[in-house]
Amino acid sequence: MIEVQNVYKTFLVPHIVQALINVSCKIEAGEVVVVIGPSGSGKSTLLRCLNHLETADSGKIFIEGIDILDPKTDINKLRAEVGMVFQSFNLFPHKNVFENITLAQKIVRRRTKTEAADKAFSLLNKVGIKDKANVYPDQLSGGQQQRVAIARALAMDPKIMLFDEPTSALDPEMIGEVLEVMKNLAREGMTMVVVTHEMGFAKEVADRVIFMDMGAIVEEGTPEHFFTSPVNERTKLFLSQIL
Amino acid sequence: MNQSVIPKTKQNKKTAVYFVWVGVFFLCIAGMISGLYYSTIKIDYVWRWYRIPQYFAFKEKIEIKSQIDGKITDISLKDGKAVITVKTEREDKTIDIPEGDLKVSKGDFVYPGYILASQENWKPGILMQGLWLTIEVSLISTLLGILIGLFGGLARLSSNPAFKWFSITYIEIIRGSPLLVQIFIWYFVLGTLINTILSKYGISSIPPLWYGVAALACFTGAYVAEIVRAGIQSIHRGQVEASRSLGMTYAQSMRYVILPQALRRILPPLAGQFISLIKDSSLLGIIAVRELSKATREVVTTSLQPFELWFVCALLYLFLTFTLSMFVQYLERRTAV
Repeated sequence: MIEVQNVYKTFLVPHIVQALINVSCKIEAGEVVVVIGPSGSGKSTLLRCLNHLETADSGKIFIEGIDILDPKTDINKLRAEVGMVFQSFNLFPHKNVFENITLAQKIVRRRTKTEAADKAFSLLNKVGIKDKANVYPDQLSGGQQQRVAIARALAMDPKIMLFDEPTSALDPEMIGEVLEVMKNLAREGMTMVVVTHEMGFAKEVADRVIFMDMGAIVEEGTPEHFFTSPVNERTKLFLSQIL
Repeated sequence: MNQSVIPKTKQNKKTAVYFVWVGVFFLCIAGMISGLYYSTIKIDYVWRWYRIPQYFAFKEKIEIKSQIDGKITDISLKDGKAVITVKTEREDKTIDIPEGDLKVSKGDFVYPGYILASQENWKPGILMQGLWLTIEVSLISTLLGILIGLFGGLARLSSNPAFKWFSITYIEIIRGSPLLVQIFIWYFVLGTLINTILSKYGISSIPPLWYGVAALACFTGAYVAEIVRAGIQSIHRGQVEASRSLGMTYAQSMRYVILPQALRRILPPLAGQFISLIKDSSLLGIIAVRELSKATREVVTTSLQPFELWFVCALLYLFLTFTLSMFVQYLERRTAV
């Protein structure tokens, strides 16, 4: 479903950083892949390259066989199929929860008002905040905002969901409610790529764990392999520091 | 939406010292006004405020006079019109008179110059016409300025070098030269060129008003472009990323997500810009656009009441700018979340 081949990415501003160095990986449909690694290891950059928020310098990225680095590819069409959830939620502050979820449905998916509304209410129900439809984002807790953000992404009926540290900006007591929504999503068979520091989530839901450091994939494998018998020294060091 | 009420604490309880200073304020104002008044008395200036209203609106008297000799034999009224039949030496003549007060009755003898009817109409005075022109010029320039500024600001942020450099060049040239000079260039350079070319093709020339509007709109557009740019840049990057990641195009993301948020933030500086525009429209008098200041100048030369008239002129501008600033405050409250 997702295929990344020899991707390089270098940031020039504010100073030269090699964020991705020869990264290759493959993610199958229905797979839940958790990407972990120390900060600055390039895991967020990899994720953002997948929906072209960052443009890879070289290499190839295929989403469902479509080459997203090909200038002829309609990137907006592709992005509608790839949902993304951000660390800082990025809800639209001038629109209420309901409008946040229906806006893109109407203007990108061209759904009618009623279709969009039905979808919005069923998703709000799914993420457990159906009574907050008319509330503005700044009146919600962080956990609720992130669940709205997930609902907003799901409203587009994406084939793939990307999560960029979805719980890192949350107070500890709110992490659980967001992870619960993500776990349900994984159980339903959604293809997910999750950058996170939640090792519990990785152990419980991930089909595969990718460990990155210094812009490269250091080690990847099943959670059992990864948490019990890692091979690479760098992985062992990282796990010993966080567990 | 929720405007929290600041609880009354000891700090904002009004003390005696506070009221003393309030008194100082009003005393100073009163002192300045009376100082001004007594100096005008000293130079024997006679204030004639009663002569001012006629420049806002005056009664115009229209008299209909008879052209012939004779006796009125009949007056008939129909549809608000009066038909007078006059019997002259040779024949009967009828005179149609549009509605108005008849000054004659049946049996009257009329002669050339005799007033048959007179009518009084309220007409807007020269100051009123000037005020109206100022409003008109400011309104059109504001709307054009918003358009130019919006696209100028977007072009300024574009990654396309043509758009970006056009915008930067435009903004820097306009902001770097005096408005007065720009008005001269618009009227005496571009205006002469355009009107001469138009006349060669037999098209009537464009009146100076439109060159003035163009100068003001271009001038304001450059400032609005910078305000729009700052407003867009003040919106967090995550908003663009979130909207684009949902599949919105650049234009959709601007239209539905970025600009509505930016507009709310740039309302106060925009209001300041448009208040400046209203005041700057007073410069258009130099290219024979009879807006409020030019109208005042004309009235001053005929009436010789400069003191009253310039105060009135200032008050009228104040009225316009104050109305605008109230309107923007209302918008700010309405769009506040």
